[in-house]
Amino acid sequence: MSGFGWGVAPLWEGLCAGRCTIGPFGRFDHRMHRTHVAAEVAAAPEEIAGRPGWHRLSLADRFAVAAAVEGMRQAGLPVPLPQDVEAGVFWGSSTGGMWEAEGFFRDFVGDRRRSRVGDLASHQVNAPGDAVARLVGAGGPVQTVSSACASGALAVGAALEALRAGTVDVALAGGSDSLCQLTYAGFNALRSVSESPCRPFRAGRSGLSIGEGGALLVLEPLERVLARGAQPLAVLAGAGAACDAHHMTAPDPSGQGAAAALEAALRDAGLAPADVDFVNAHGTGTPLNDAAEWNALQRVFGTRAGMVPVTATKALLGHLLGSSGAIEAVATVLCLQHGMLHPVPSAAASAAESVEEAEPAAAVPVALVADQPLPFPAVRAAVSTSLAFGGSNAALVFARWTAASSS
Amino acid sequence: MDRGELLLSRSLLLTGLGTVGAYGCGVESLRRALAAAAPGEELVEVDTAAGFHRAGGARRAFLASRLGPGALREWLAPGEARRMSPPSKLAVAAARMALRAAGREDARCGDVAAGVTVATAFGPSSYSEALLRQILFEGPEATSPFYFTESVANAPAAQIAILCRAQGPSVTLCQREAGALLAVGHAAGEVAAGRMPLALAGTVEEMSPLLHAVLDRYGALARPGVDGGEVARPFDRRRNGFLAAEGATLAVLEPEEPVRARGAVPLARVLAWGNAFDPTAPRTGWGSGAGRLARSLRRSLDRAGVAVEAIDRIVSGASGARGGDRLEAELLRAVWGDRALPPVVAPKAIVGEYGGGFLGAAVLAAGGAPCGRPPGCEEPDPALGIVLSGGAPLPPPACTLVTSLAAGGAAAWLVLGAP
Repeated sequence: MSGFGWGVAPLWEGLCAGRCTIGPFGRFDHRMHRTHVAAEVAAAPEEIAGRPGWHRLSLADRFAVAAAVEGMRQAGLPVPLPQDVEAGVFWGSSTGGMWEAEGFFRDFVGDRRRSRVGDLASHQVNAPGDAVARLVGAGGPVQTVSSACASGALAVGAALEALRAGTVDVALAGGSDSLCQLTYAGFNALRSVSESPCRPFRAGRSGLSIGEGGALLVLEPLERVLARGAQPLAVLAGAGAACDAHHMTAPDPSGQGAAAALEAALRDAGLAPADVDFVNAHGTGTPLNDAAEWNALQRVFGTRAGMVPVTATKALLGHLLGSSGAIEAVATVLCLQHGMLHPVPSAAASAAESVEEAEPAAAVPVALVADQPLPFPAVRAAVSTSLAFGGSNAALVFARWTAASSS
Repeated sequence: MDRGELLLSRSLLLTGLGTVGAYGCGVESLRRALAAAAPGEELVEVDTAAGFHRAGGARRAFLASRLGPGALREWLAPGEARRMSPPSKLAVAAARMALRAAGREDARCGDVAAGVTVATAFGPSSYSEALLRQILFEGPEATSPFYFTESVANAPAAQIAILCRAQGPSVTLCQREAGALLAVGHAAGEVAAGRMPLALAGTVEEMSPLLHAVLDRYGALARPGVDGGEVARPFDRRRNGFLAAEGATLAVLEPEEPVRARGAVPLARVLAWGNAFDPTAPRTGWGSGAGRLARSLRRSLDRAGVAVEAIDRIVSGASGARGGDRLEAELLRAVWGDRALPPVVAPKAIVGEYGGGFLGAAVLAAGGAPCGRPPGCEEPDPALGIVLSGGAPLPPPACTLVTSLAAGGAAAWLVLGAP
């Protein structure tokens, strides 16, 4: 679920087209806010919105449930799962049902007679993940990670560990967050939001763009997938995390913490930096974040850094906050599956800029995949990075699935 | 050896504990509260001036704020505190206590890439409220960047990482009442798998008047009796809700080898951990899936090689919630079957729900600290079949099961061994 619509098909089509979904939005009156663009998800189509109990779910819950329904269908798994299948849900969310909680708060504080405390039922951060667990009948571990913008990637990493430890047979890992006033005003108060669509790694970039949505990966051990005759989309090869321990909002400019997360993920995957064919960067478009991330990539990839293609999904979808790691994991999987890297638009950049002038100009330029998708039929592996408030960094390593992967 | 066996082959020790709550600042104050088992001045009136509370509803909670602004001075310099929300202050203080107790005199993690896993049910609630007031009633231009930064759920974990120099994974978990045990289990898994040499794990909660009022309007809190008193009565037939609490508890987890090498005395051994979900649970209540939860709990014990018969103490997360205690009792009875349950203690009646008092109590109880039966639990609910231990002091346990079930379906447990 993203600014492109409800489902994986519109997501992949939009990503390949390099179409930016960041623009004017109507979720709330933003005339008094500092900026006026975001990537909003349109109302759900009737076949999704007609589900029983849909109206009782928060937006973040709806993104989660819709992603779970689609993911389970694509994986060929029944909903609910049989009770003898140990299923776990690992979810990332920054604010859960905050959009709806704002309405409750306005009423409760302003005019108590209008507020209904029952409306708060799905406003907790753990509500979307719990809703997925209830939908699929999961009886195994269910845990919601709320580590700001690294939540989704950390949740996917936790799912991988649960699968390896054998505590679950099937893991549903993902994240969801909805556009709300609290995050929109909060990031604006930090002067982190761009007045125009974000431009990750571009010279003159001026901040992030807020988005919303949800995404989910269905993860299973390879033997189980093959035994039931299903076709894997990709291999989740490794996960890693580390903390800057530097500042609440500013990243460590050296990129040391982000590099440590990336190195841990590669170690976990048993891969070397030379095995990585592209990076789906966190790439928020803020001056500090992109510079620190680029330093991290240079630490890990060394002299090869400028030759590794980099894409940045946020340039098209905005920043999905706690869900960004999840939807960027999905985008990475789609790129691997199709042997094609999605581009970022350069149209948003000023006419004077070009890919070659991408930051940092003084060192090696970032090899951004610009405007046109990059065919890469021999792509082997990719990393997706997530860098959060408080210096919480996470990285995921995905490998392309081929028949040879099973050996 | 597969990865699952590897996880269980490394012995894990709990080497430090830090706690702050209405009972006071530090482990000894918690120990005294558990031994006394009679909540008194710790249970204080919540500020009802904002008018959030309904007439005749709950008014009291275990508030760490009763300790006064200077209570954390030993652990947090004023210059540090001024940049933090209330839960961040509590969490950093507890983390520093835990590190000091684990033998790190400078209360920092040193050169090792230590991880931090912190659970919170509701996040920094007073700062979120202040932020929403600014945005919704004063206008977005009034939004404070400081409130925003400290309103995120992972602010306490991030502040711990910054001030204690913890450069390993920083994870914040939100799974309501199961969060504290989930956090320790998550950290235990990371340390056991060798991904971090040291972990700080625990929970923090702030109980703002608004949050307290909302919990009461849900019918979650113990209602005042005819004498005006509010009492949590775990497993008692008169139970009508829990007592809310705020505070923080952080524990240090390490593999056995370095602990033994430096001659430190651990508090407890972490033998097993696990968590599960009851999909029959409604969003804010408890379900009917005790049998399935019991299968998951037995599976955790089997994987760790812990026989049910070896468990000689249960630290139950029963809080006095009607549905929660029922499910907890059904879970325990399903696991034990025809066998008699070992002695059961329920410290949430003494330290409240949320804020980590329960986690601290569980660690102390596993180490042999007495945990009495609080007043108000004299009439066990015959439908539940659980009688809290009381009266004669119990011998120190060898193997303690700690459980906590959350409204909404989550469940988590730990098995702690004597050090």
